[in-house]
Amino acid sequence: MKNLEGEHNQNSDSVHSKETKPCYGMVIDLRRCIGCHACSVACKAENKVPLSVFRSWVKITERGAFPNARRYFLPLLCNHCEHPICVINCPVKASYKRDDGIVLIDYDKCIGCKYCIASCPYEIRFVNPERRTVEKCTFCAHRIDKGYLPSCVNACPTTARIFGDLNDPDSEVSKLLANNPVQVLKREMGTEPRVFYIGADLFAMKERF
Amino acid sequence: MEIFEHSRTIYSVPHEIPLGVLIAVYFYLTVLSAGSFVISVVANLLGLTQYKPIAKITAVLAPLLLMIAPLNLIIDLEQKPRFWELFVFLNPTSPITWGSFLLTLYPLSAIIYAYFVFTGNKSLSRLFGIIGIPLAISVHGYTGFILALAKGRALWNTFLMPVLFLVSAMVSGIALVIIVYIGKLWWFSKGKSPEEMEKEKGLVSNMCGILVGSIVTDLFLIFCDVAVLMTSISEAKEVAHLITMGKFAPYFLGVELFMGGVIPLILLTTPATKRNLGVQFAASLLVMAGIMAMRYVVVVGGQYIPLSM
Ligand code: SF4
Ligand code: SF4
Repeated sequence: MKNLEGEHNQNSDSVHSKETKPCYGMVIDLRRCIGCHACSVACKAENKVPLSVFRSWVKITERGAFPNARRYFLPLLCNHCEHPICVINCPVKASYKRDDGIVLIDYDKCIGCKYCIASCPYEIRFVNPERRTVEKCTFCAHRIDKGYLPSCVNACPTTARIFGDLNDPDSEVSKLLANNPVQVLKREMGTEPRVFYIGADLFAMKERF
Repeated sequence: MEIFEHSRTIYSVPHEIPLGVLIAVYFYLTVLSAGSFVISVVANLLGLTQYKPIAKITAVLAPLLLMIAPLNLIIDLEQKPRFWELFVFLNPTSPITWGSFLLTLYPLSAIIYAYFVFTGNKSLSRLFGIIGIPLAISVHGYTGFILALAKGRALWNTFLMPVLFLVSAMVSGIALVIIVYIGKLWWFSKGKSPEEMEKEKGLVSNMCGILVGSIVTDLFLIFCDVAVLMTSISEAKEVAHLITMGKFAPYFLGVELFMGGVIPLILLTTPATKRNLGVQFAASLLVMAGIMAMRYVVVVGGQYIPLSM
């Protein structure tokens, strides 16, 4: 999966060599996103996320002046990075990466040192005010393990969020990645995010100039 | 670009600062401890009788400060009773795991060292002093790594962090020793002959000389750091702006650089004031306040700019 920006051949070669193990990822097609926040709400309900904190949300930016103006939506969630700084830095290995690429937190183990929150370049982690440990998006691992899609993907009315196995060349995510120009957030961090965006806006992604 | 002037973030989630003042204070106390330990050992190794009192004072300060410091860390945990996990579930890639061991071994060696200093056992106090120095340096160097390895934050993610932390350890360690030493001089000055007092004052002036040297080194490193930040990637520029012109400028420019650096430098190098005990005492206090401001600016200022909003 390293060379997503490279040629398709090379990409599918590496995909075939790892056929057996799944590697989950998400493509967010912003051409379809209407900024309805259904994903944020579904996530809150599915994961019982307390008030004032969010595992996934839709950032909204706006540019231009009437009549040449537009709003841009950017759904944000854990990138389930290939090289997750949060996992590298967690002192008690409470944050870990599963074989299928999903980055999780063991809530019984987390000591709440918050180093991972400070380390994640995407500011995706937070302290759950009720459980008093750190938490974040899990790609709804509990649903995936039962064969369901993540709740946000399930709820999206325009199918802007597409989830699947990046190691399977026939999965919808792989096909989208093969056929579209894609971006990831903060590529320069070397984290190799597994959440890809189609049509993401520069200002929305980079926040500032 | 005009068009981007009209760009606004309409909605995102609130930004939090995960590591706060407690962590800054923790860094500050380890700094003081490591600094005073190194000074103690050096004074002890030099073996000159005039340095004996310094070696003793610092030998007590070092473990004392380092027993308070980790308490800050534990209080800051969301799950305080689970802190023992730090010694059981180890992650070799995490600087906090390195720290769990350094923070245990270093105070131990410092206590043993202090014991031998006070019982007057020369060879053993030297031995444990020499063993303790790399520990003292690592205990402080590793805190620099904690910040440097959280690579999302432009202010932290530089190799200079561990170095800067070590130099500031030196600065505030010496300042602390000067303060304690002068305090002791004032307290016990009655029975002393004028010659003895002169000798003691000479000693303080020597230490002030070293202090001046380390402040200059510290200021130079900070200058290098900020100069590179200002010309680096956009996030680095933004944080450089934050500390030089933005919300953290009063702490950075005002307290850290001016009050804690420039003023003490002037006081300690001007011939009229540099040998005055009161001035030396005040200058050292300013230096210590400046280093505390530095911790605050680095820790809290480093997280001030939202990454996702
Ligand atoms: S996005 Fe942040 S929390 Fe998620 S895996 Fe990457 S570094 Fe960790
Ligand atoms: S807060 Fe929890 S998950 Fe995060 S680094 Fe600390 S122990 Fe690990």
